[in-house]
Formats: sequence, C-alpha cells, structure tokens
Amino acid sequence: MLGSWPSFDPHNFSQFKPNDPANPSKMTPVTYRPTHDRTLPPPDQVIAPEAKNILLRHFYQPAEEKLRSKRAPCDNPSPERASKLPRPSASDNSI
Amino acid sequence: MSVWNYVVTAHKPTNVTHSCVGNFTGPQELNLIIAKCTRIEIHLLTPQGLQAMLDVPIYGRIATLELFRPHGEPQDLLFVATERYKFCVLHWDAEAAEVITRAMGDVSDRIGRPTDNGQIGIIDPDCRLIGLHLYDGLFKVIPFDNKGQLKEAFNIRLEELQVLDIKFLYGCPRPTIVVLYQDNKDARHVKTYEVTLKDKDFVEGPWSQNNLDNGADLLIPVPPPLCGVLIIGEETIVYCSASAFKAIPIRPSITRAYGRVDADGSRYLLGDHNGLLHLLVITHEREKVTGLKIELLGETSVASSISYLDNAVVFVGSSYGDSQLIKLNLHPDAKGSYVEVLERYVNLGPIVDFCVVDLERQGQGQVVTCSGAYKDGSLRIVRNGIGINEQASVELQGIKGMWSLRSASDDPHDTFLVVSFISETRILAMNLEDELEETEIEGFYSNVQTLFCHDAIYDQLVQVTSTSVRLVSSTSRELRHEWFAPAGYSVNVATASATQVLLATGGGHLVYLEIGDGVLTEVKNAQLEYDISCLDINPIGDNPNYSQLAAVGMWTDISVRIFSLPDLNLITKEHLGGEIIPRSVLLCSFEGISYLLCALGDGHLLNFVLNTSNGELTDRKKVSLGTQPIALRTFSSKNATHVFAASDRPTVIYSSNKKLLYSNVNLKEVSYMCPFNSAAFPDSLAIAKEGELTIGTIDDIQKLHIRSIPLGEHARRICHQEQTRTFAICSLKYNQSSVEDSEMHFIRLLDDQTFEFISTYPLDQFECGCSILSCSFSDDSNVYYCVGTAYVMPEENEPTKGRILVFAVEDGKLQLIAEKETKGAVYSLNAFNGKLLAAINQKIQLYKWMLRDDGSRELQSECGHHGHILALYVQTRGDFIVVGDLMKSISLLIYKHEEGAIEERARDYNANWMSAVEILDDDIYLGAENNFNLFTVRKNSEGATDEERGRLEVVGEYHLGEFVNRFRHGSLVMRLPDSDVGQIPTVIFGTVNGVIGVIASLPHEQYAFLEMLQTNLRKIIKGVGGLSHEQWRSFYNEKKTVDAKNFLDGDLIESFLDLSRNRMEEISKAMNVPVDELMKRVEELTRLH
Repeated sequence: MLGSWPSFDPHNFSQFKPNDPANPSKMTPVTYRPTHDRTLPPPDQVIAPEAKNILLRHFYQPAEEKLRSKRAPCDNPSPERASKLPRPSASDNSI
Repeated sequence: MSVWNYVVTAHKPTNVTHSCVGNFTGPQELNLIIAKCTRIEIHLLTPQGLQAMLDVPIYGRIATLELFRPHGEPQDLLFVATERYKFCVLHWDAEAAEVITRAMGDVSDRIGRPTDNGQIGIIDPDCRLIGLHLYDGLFKVIPFDNKGQLKEAFNIRLEELQVLDIKFLYGCPRPTIVVLYQDNKDARHVKTYEVTLKDKDFVEGPWSQNNLDNGADLLIPVPPPLCGVLIIGEETIVYCSASAFKAIPIRPSITRAYGRVDADGSRYLLGDHNGLLHLLVITHEREKVTGLKIELLGETSVASSISYLDNAVVFVGSSYGDSQLIKLNLHPDAKGSYVEVLERYVNLGPIVDFCVVDLERQGQGQVVTCSGAYKDGSLRIVRNGIGINEQASVELQGIKGMWSLRSASDDPHDTFLVVSFISETRILAMNLEDELEETEIEGFYSNVQTLFCHDAIYDQLVQVTSTSVRLVSSTSRELRHEWFAPAGYSVNVATASATQVLLATGGGHLVYLEIGDGVLTEVKNAQLEYDISCLDINPIGDNPNYSQLAAVGMWTDISVRIFSLPDLNLITKEHLGGEIIPRSVLLCSFEGISYLLCALGDGHLLNFVLNTSNGELTDRKKVSLGTQPIALRTFSSKNATHVFAASDRPTVIYSSNKKLLYSNVNLKEVSYMCPFNSAAFPDSLAIAKEGELTIGTIDDIQKLHIRSIPLGEHARRICHQEQTRTFAICSLKYNQSSVEDSEMHFIRLLDDQTFEFISTYPLDQFECGCSILSCSFSDDSNVYYCVGTAYVMPEENEPTKGRILVFAVEDGKLQLIAEKETKGAVYSLNAFNGKLLAAINQKIQLYKWMLRDDGSRELQSECGHHGHILALYVQTRGDFIVVGDLMKSISLLIYKHEEGAIEERARDYNANWMSAVEILDDDIYLGAENNFNLFTVRKNSEGATDEERGRLEVVGEYHLGEFVNRFRHGSLVMRLPDSDVGQIPTVIFGTVNGVIGVIASLPHEQYAFLEMLQTNLRKIIKGVGGLSHEQWRSFYNEKKTVDAKNFLDGDLIESFLDLSRNRMEEISKAMNVPVDELMKRVEELTRLH
C-alpha cells in the first residue's frame, strides 16, 4: 500500500536539505508585471456571455435544425456559422 | 484622515486556496502551481526542492485553477476562473519567459442565482469542453474544437438545484459529468449526464446512485483503466461506476482536500478537517475494482489542497495554518506517523482579529494577529524592518568614526575596534573574558581624530589622520612606515583597501598610495577644481584587495566622479543636481550588478548602476531615507553583502530579484556603523547611536518579520494592556477525542514578552467570547479587561443571553471584578466617556461603572439605542458612535450628555453587510463589507434639510477583493515627525486570506498626482489573462457595479518601481513628470508599509 511512490524525475528532491521546520521557509518569487501585448488573446478566442436564453434557444432550435437538414446535401457546408462568432469589436468592450 | 485614500498590501495573501501539478513551464519541467486567492505562484521542482519562479497577480479572486493539455500541445495550459465570472487560459512562453493568454472571456449570465456551494469549474479529461457551474440550475459549456481552440459558450439546464460537486468521468465516448446533489428531503445522490454538443443539451448518463452518505460532499473521478468515481462522505467512502459499487466505512471526518498519487488512479491522499492525512487505495484485479482500503498516514496542517509532487514529496496547502512540504515515509516514526514535515510556509490567514502595539517601546507599531483556525490557531507578531539584537553596549559620547581591524591578515575574526572622537582615537579589543576592553596599537596616533582605518596585506594596519598615513604591523603593533601630507595641507577625507589608500587634502588635491610590505608608495596625485567631500575605493572587481575604480564626491559643483586606478584618470562625471553636497559614496555589488551609491547631506540617497568596464553610470534613482547626512558602509550577513545607511533613519539596502530594496532598521538614530565579526560576537555590527556604542547581531534581511506563537486552539479576539504588559485573548479549543465534537471557550491572559499563558478563565458551557477591551472608568484609576460573551444554544437562531465580564489583572491572574448579564450577544465593547459602550444584538447599550455601598463595583445600565438588525462593529470618537450593522451598512449615533440618551444622527441607506468599520476622522467613516468591497461615507452636517443631514453620503468605493475582519489605526513603520510620510495617517487591516494592508489618507494634491500615475500604469502594466484592472477595482455587489472612486491601488502604483527604464520613461513622458521625481514619490509611498 505504501511505497513505490510515483517518480517523474528521480532527481527531484534528491539533494533537498530540509530547513528547520521551526523556521518557516521564505520563498519570495519575482512578481510578474506583464507589459507585452500578448495578455490579450486572438480576437476569436474571446468568449462573450451567451446572448440567447435557453428557452429561446429551444424555440429556435427546431427551425435551425430544419435549415441545416435542407443545407445538408450541399457539398460544402460551412463548418461554423459566421454570424455566431463574437465580433472582435464587441468582445473588446466586454473584456 | 481624508476621503482620498491609498490602499496597499503590506503582507500578501498566504492562504492557499488551490494547487495543482503539471508541466506548465516546459514539457520536461514539473511545476507546482499554487493559488493564494488573488495570486498564482509558479514553482519548479528541482533536485534541491521547490524553486519559486514567479508570483502572478490576478485581477480577480480565483475560483478555479486547473492544468490541462489539449491534444497536440507539448505542455500544459492553465485554466483560471475568477469569482466575478471571468476566465482565462494561460500558456507559458519559455523563450520570452512570459505568461501568454490563449483565450479569455466572460461567463456571467444576466439572470441566475449564484450557487451557494461555491463555483465549480472542470475540464473534460479528453479536452472536449470546459464545464462551469456558476448559477443554480445552469451548467455552462465552453467547447473546444479539434485544434484546441475555444468555441462559443452555451448553457444547459441542470435539474438538480442543490449541487455539491460535479466532475467529468474518464474514459467516456461522449463527455460525461457526474453530479453529486441534495434533494429537497436532504438526501444525497449522484447522477450522470452526457453532454451532447450538437443539441447543446444533456442526455441521461450511463448510471446513477441514490441515497448516499448524508455527508457526501466530494467526488473524485478515477482515471483509466478503472474509471468511475469515488464519493467521499463523512462516514463512508464509495466507489461507483456503471459496473461496480464498493463501499467502506471510515472514522467520522470531513474530507477537505484530496490529491491523486498514481497516474492510474489507484491511490489518493485525503486530508480531513482535523488535519489527518489518509491514504485511500482502490484495490483491483485485471482492471476490475475489488475494494477500497484506507490507512492513516499522520497529521499535517488542516489541508485545503493536496498536491503529490514527486518521489514521495507532497505539498499540503492550507487555509487554516501554515502550508507544508511533507515526505511520505515507508516506515512510521516513533509516534506511528508516516508523515515527515520537510518545510512550512507561513500563512497568517484567517486573520480574525489583531491589535497594534509597541512592544519594544521604540515608537514603532507591531501587529499581533489572531491567525489560523482549529488546531492550527496561533498568534503572529508581525513587525516591519530589521531588528538589532543587542549583545553588549557601552556609553560613549561623540563618536566620529569606527573601524574593525584584524590582528593578522589571515585571521577570520576581527580583534580591534577603532573608535575615533574629535581629538582622540581609542582602540577596543576583546579580552580573554570576552569583554570589550581598551587597548593600544602603539603605532597608531591616539591623540588625534582618525579619518580612516583598514586592514592591509602583509599583516599590516593602516591609519589615516589629518596629517599622515601610518602603516603599522598588526603583530608587533609598531609603526613601519608613514606618509605625510604636504606642508600646509591637511587630509580631509580618506579611504583604503587592503593594498591601496586614497585621500584628499584641502584645495582639491587627490593622492593615491599603494601599500607594500612595510612601505607606502605615493603612486599618483591629481589636482581637482574643487574640494572633495567623500571618497570610496571598495573593491567590487575580481580582486577583493584591489580596486580599479575610485568614486569621488565633490563640493561646489555637486558632482560625483569615477576615476580609474592607479592612474587617477577621470572616467565619468555625474552632476547630482540640487544644492546638497554628497556626504558618502560607496561602490558595491549586489547579485552580480555593480552600483554606485551616493548619499547626500539631507538624507537623500542616489543610486546608479555602474558599468565597471567603462565607468558609465546609468539608471539613476533617488530615494529619501531620512533628513540627516547618511554614512554608507557595507556588511555581510548570512553570506550576502548589504549596505548599512547610518542616519536619523537607519536603513539596510539590499537586493532581491536584482532590485534594490530598502528596509528600515528598528533603531532611532545611528551615526556610524561598522561590521565587527569577533570570535565572541560573530557576524555582529558595532553601532554608534545616541551616546552609546552597541554591538549586536542583525535580523534576517527582509521587510516583514513574522514570529509565530502556536496556540493549539483558535484565538478569536485579542487585546493588549499596556499597564500590566499583558495580552488577553478569547479563544476556543476543539475537543476531538470524544465521540461528539465539543468546544470549550476561554479567556486567557498572556505575558506580552514571553507570550506564555499566565492565567485562564474558562467560560460556561455554550458561552463564547465575542469581544474584548482594555479600559478604565471614570472615578476609578484601575485598568480592566472587559469581555463580552454570548451563550450560543444549538436551538436558538440568535443568542438571547450573554455576559459582560470585568477582570482586573492581580498578581498576574485574571480576577473577576464584576459581571453583568445581557439579553444577547455582546458583539462589541468600547470605552466611551469613562463608561462602557456595548453592542448587544440589535441594541447599543451604555453602562456606568458604579460603586456599591459595600465598596464593590458594578455595571449599571444608563441608556441605549435600538434599531439595528445586529450591531456587530462599533467605533467611537468623542460623543459620536459609528455602528456597522449586519446588513444595514453604517449608521452614526450621538450620545447626549444632558439627556443621558443615545440618538441616531445619520445613516447610510445602502444594504451593505458589514465586516468591519473604522472612523477615519470626524466626518469620514470607513467600512468593509462581505462582497470584498471597501467604502467611505461622510457625515453631512451642513445639509440644508433634516433628510440631507440624516444621510451618510457614500464618498469612496473600491473593490479590495479581500474579506476584512478588522481595521485598526496605527502604522507598521516607525513614524518620524519630520518626514513627509510621517504626516500621513494610516489604518491597518487584516483579512481572511492573511493579508495585512494599509489604508493611507493622502492630501488631495498627492492623491490627484497618483491617480494620474495609476491611470497611466494601467496602460503599461497589463492584467494577466487579459483581465482589466479598472473592472477588478470597481465596487461590486449583487445590486450594482460602479467604478472605484477616492481609493487608489497602491499595489499597482508601487509596481512602477519594477518597470524597466524604458517603460518608466513612457509614463514620465505621458505625465510630463521626470522619472526621478516619479520614482522618488513612489519610493516614499513604499515606506508606509
């Protein structure tokens, strides 16, 4: 039951020198202050709150199903409905 | 104080709320990621242990923290969701060493009731979707596409309204959740649902299980090959899957945290509410579960998160005690425990109460907190600045300089301490009895002032006086050689290394000597245009005995110059600006970076980064340390070099993460300091202050010092009594040994130096201490501890009975002098006009301290005021009473002496649920409420109508993101009346997450300036995960969200100092304020805490 503890890298903690547990350890990492522009994701990865209520969605769903089944024979069905993507400008405001 | 407030963190949150392990910073790097409510810490596992990499502030309170790896990703991504319904997916870019936002968004819904049992955020093990349960009856889905990109989120109706836990099941063809819930008959069940992304709906899942343990609260999904789920109850643990059901009984306990050990999910660590750590094992044969086993491993802090790291080492995160690094041993120790605590990490949370006292009577506040909960309860003494532990001291007036010398070049210890006065020089040395004794170095001049001394090579000592430089043998102590100043000139300033002497005589004459074996050689001299005010040749290059650079401070043109040695060529000249001459210069090196420090006569310090190859000075920074001239000197402590700046406000300058930091030394005024590392006093400093020479060791170099006093019980209220030098606390001890958990409440008296219990008063059964106060009454010179209690009966919604107990401390014992029964809980006690003001349930009640005929004392009710829901927090000022109500915000009452009545004067009509109140000044009151906001209200005495006068106007609003339990006036730093910062009044607060913060009231000009700086900083320092600072600090509750006003975020403002020079200049340009000025003003603010 005890023992054969998993090991990712056998070296981890191999040279560990325990502090006196009476003296708490001081770990003071550098505080991160990002100044780059990549704190904002690509515009299509900004998820906006859902505009449509579940009930409304249930109303519209059969109609959408119908539309989809009509389009199904089409050779090149568009994988995503463009209108459902959040507009970058709108989503910027919501950040 | 004022309405313009500056809020800053003095001690960051330490309560570990979440932790997880994975390959975040690289495919081969194993990381421990810790969330401390509003901060994320990234650690790397190394052979030496945990290595802290980064502390990442998050503009939100972290509700969910999960590592996951979409298909095809070489390393894990971090999913973070905040309590204010924002989320982000973070990625570590190892090349740039930056945290990149992959995705982010808002997952709030306009309608919906926030869940009672906390927010749940989970990620499908096959990375098909993220699931969130944020509102009752709704399950939000954010699907991934096959490239790992997030798609539009949608809600699914969840029938179960009282959800306790939701997890994704492993090994399901379609994403499947398992829901643990309670029905309307309080029975608990689990149910599974498949998420169909196409229909945006649930389909009934493969199995369900009804009527579980009534305390079932936690689900643990089991990975393949076993799959299924563990349901952790208070009396049983159940394994459940479509094909199997296994259960074992356990000793009654509430499991607070779990950590998976093996990748195949056969072993788990469980931590319970008593801090007991168990190992749960799923036994199996040919991938079929055959049973469960549980084994007690030992005791840790009460865990809030458990992360198995590597090679039997486990991180135990705690909200109620210190977090720990533990090792699981194969064999039990003498006490039968398999757990070995390797390290512990300080956690002040939850700070339930604290007081500010000046224990060492130095004019500096120390905070003593009631920290931790249950068995991990403790008192913590938090002190700012660096202490000197005095070893010896002698009275000596008029010290003009001090140097320590060795008796041989290779002696590891110092022997002599040279102390210079205006017209003599005395030599002290340790004698055989380890006492400082006056001695002689025959070769030294003793009847004049010494300008400088140093050890020299070849067992020699150097003494510089105004007329000559003397080279003396350290063994025979006899003069070996002497260099004389040119006739008509006297030496003004001098410095030396082991092989060099640099001195300046009047008339701007600079002379450079080199030291040989018994000989001083004048190598070079130079004529400068002005007089020289200070010099330094501290070697910072490879050779510790020889410096290639000299720093020279000048009169008249107020400049500092760098010369090369030995040729005395001028390399750099830097004008300091202003009219104050440099009084001390120092070349030094910290963490591989060379600096020139230059101290001015008015207590300012300039520092430059020095390029040692070309002498170039860059990154000029100016800070104000004190108001008097500063003398700089290096010293070593624990193998690191630091600089001591002696002045009216002594400071240690050190470097952390390649940034210069300034820490106050807790001494009033130091004129000179020199390191004195003698055999009897190793690693010590000799300090000249106020007519006294002190030898002492120095504390660890860091800003805040925290001392722990473990109590083994939960302290809830604390109070200090100056006159008896005691603390009194209200505490409770949980009794776990009996079948039914019981608790006992005490009033305990502690010595304020040793922190030992010296007296205890047990409270009655069901009675608990709610408030404590040290006060005296009119017509009675004694001081008393007053304690307010409540009888908390299991069948009552609100206490209907309580007591006020009045104790005197007699011979170190708590002596009950009087008691008064009350009709409810005594939530607050205040000294008020020589009487006692109590808040009792919905009433404010004033008691007189009356003398009975028999000479005994009693509390007698004088008047009261009804009209609160629960009057929880009360502060008074003069005749005014400020009440913080359970749910009716702040109201202002006034005591009318003539009528002997208390009346309401005004109130804030908002429905804030209060957690603390404080009076900032006559008109402005500060409040904290349970949505983690701060606000200020103002009394409107000039209102035209009664209605206007009766309304407290909200003047400041701010989202702190912390639950404040207590405000107290006071300061963590020593306040100097003549410094700018000394004029700024401050309030200290303590929070559940262990934050100690400071609220400083600023003059309007300074506030406006800093507000502009904050606005500019928001554009430069981005929120991690794309989260907005402005939104984060906006006042937010269920009813409204409004922009922060009249509060500034000091944490953001002070991060200005962490910016690169280019970024600082960007801000400087935008604000049209020089960088130097910005730095100086921000640096001053950092000295508030």
